Amino acid sequence: MVPPEYYLVLSAAIFCIGLFGILTRRNALYFLMSAELMLNAAVINLVAFSFQWGNLTGQTFALFVIALAAAEVAVGIGIVLVLYRNFGDVDVLNAATMRW
Amino acid sequence: MSLVLQGTATDWAFSVRALLPVVLLALTGLVVFGINSLRPDGRDNKLLALTSIAGTLSALGVAIWYLLAGTGQPTHGGAISLFSGAIIVDGLGLFFTAIFASVATLVIAASYDYFESDANPASFYSLLLLATTAMGLMAVSNSLVTVFVSLEMASLPSYALVAYLKDNRGSVEAGLKYFLIGAVSSAVLAFGISLVYAATGSLLLPEVAAQIGSVGDLNGVLGVGVVMVAGGVAFKTASVPFHFWAPEAYEGAPAPVSAFLSSASKAAGFAVGFRVFATGFQPALDIGIDWGLLFGLLAVVTMVLGNFAAATQTEVKRMLAYSSIGHAGYALIGLAAITAGASATNATVMGAAMAHLFVYGFMNTGAFLFIAMVERWGVGRTFEDYAGLAERAPMASLAMAVFMFSLAGLPLFGGFLSKYVLFLGAINAGFWWLAAVGAVTSALSLFYYSRVVKALWLESPTTDLDAVGDVPTGLYAAVIVAGVVTVLLLPGFGPVIETAEAAAAALFA
Repeated sequence: MVPPEYYLVLSAAIFCIGLFGILTRRNALYFLMSAELMLNAAVINLVAFSFQWGNLTGQTFALFVIALAAAEVAVGIGIVLVLYRNFGDVDVLNAATMRW
Repeated sequence: MSLVLQGTATDWAFSVRALLPVVLLALTGLVVFGINSLRPDGRDNKLLALTSIAGTLSALGVAIWYLLAGTGQPTHGGAISLFSGAIIVDGLGLFFTAIFASVATLVIAASYDYFESDANPASFYSLLLLATTAMGLMAVSNSLVTVFVSLEMASLPSYALVAYLKDNRGSVEAGLKYFLIGAVSSAVLAFGISLVYAATGSLLLPEVAAQIGSVGDLNGVLGVGVVMVAGGVAFKTASVPFHFWAPEAYEGAPAPVSAFLSSASKAAGFAVGFRVFATGFQPALDIGIDWGLLFGLLAVVTMVLGNFAAATQTEVKRMLAYSSIGHAGYALIGLAAITAGASATNATVMGAAMAHLFVYGFMNTGAFLFIAMVERWGVGRTFEDYAGLAERAPMASLAMAVFMFSLAGLPLFGGFLSKYVLFLGAINAGFWWLAAVGAVTSALSLFYYSRVVKALWLESPTTDLDAVGDVPTGLYAAVIVAGVVTVLLLPGFGPVIETAEAAAAALFA
């Protein structure tokens, strides 16, 4: 059996890749993909430790997380669409009429 | 332990009855959808608004009735546990549901005028009602699964509400920024929950608490998980370090939505924070994961940053946005002044923070709704543009003065007592430095709040105020009601703080 530490390292690595993508990408669609990556890191943990602990709580929650991630993307794509209509681009830095 | 379904049939009638305030909100949202799909071309703004208000008022009524009757409280058989303990109906849940329903009622009454010319107001009302439903669920969540699901259920309609004015660049930009930071912080929260699960093997808060003592080597994993869950709470409550969406989202969003987010959504974040950390993570304090200190630092930074940034603003709406960050800092004291084992003082401080959120729900919603009215009149956004409005709209300006002084904590309105009890509770719990920072920043806040009052009442108009004559019924009623409640909460503060402290005491029992 693969020791649980390996899963933790894998999921932490994927989480950090997602975070890196969010901090560096300017395209809103890449941004969405990076956020998905971070959520999937959580899903890996949940499934791995569900197996480790011998209960199904984690696997069931993983299904909820996947469903919510899909819902989040649906809303996100809608916002990206109105962003494109208003600003003519999907660059998140273009939308800067208010200061940060 | 496996997830085999229990043999006995779940008693649905009982669950629905226990969750009645939340169920009523959800049903109203669906009825609004139904009305709109039966008459897709009839705009029915009045019918939709009245239906929505009927729903939120009945949810408010049931929540208050349950609170008075003692449902789910220690005196009447203790908290009602539903769905294998994933949902728990108790004083805290009902108290916060009352806040959400009151704020939603005021916001819907105001939206009736604000979205008068909107092509399809039904989508606005139903999104608002569904977000309120999800907040009600957040307040009764007793498992990290229901916490995450209900938090997302509240966030998704909120993103759409902020970006609701599809052709307005400010609204779209606000929605984008809120969504981007929301997506990141919900991923952080999910990862934190997965780490807590990795360390403890459970997601139900009482079971997490029971397992924390025996995590052994996974102590560090649990610590990182707890910090990340705190990050999720910080996003929802607009506290440092996930606060920077708030000024943008509140400034760009339609003003009724800003009112809703800065009052109800913030309170929902605290409802989750209070329950998760008091019920689930309290034993972590014993094994060196000092989240109390973490929240203490966040509270200080949030109070200082919110109030100082508010003092430098030139636009009233943006000033209120930063002031709402500052108020998140005050409420964070309720989580910061927690020490392991001191149940009585912990309950006092947390109850005071809940009571402050209750008062804040009225005074802050009222202030943002006044801005909604000014936006409708087409007067500008800066302090100078507000000059002389009192001549044209004395009642509304009087209400705005009440909100400003109450937010600052002057001893004439509800906001004074809630802050006083909160700071006093912090001192009694031994956290005098939190109270000191709170008192100093409150004094500073009087500076920028009084600027609004000065502009309204003392300065002469700089712009043409001819449009101000128009009196939008719903908006006016909402502002006046919020103002009256803010004043009445000074003599009527006793029952609020007693209910809040009893609810908090049940968490620490």
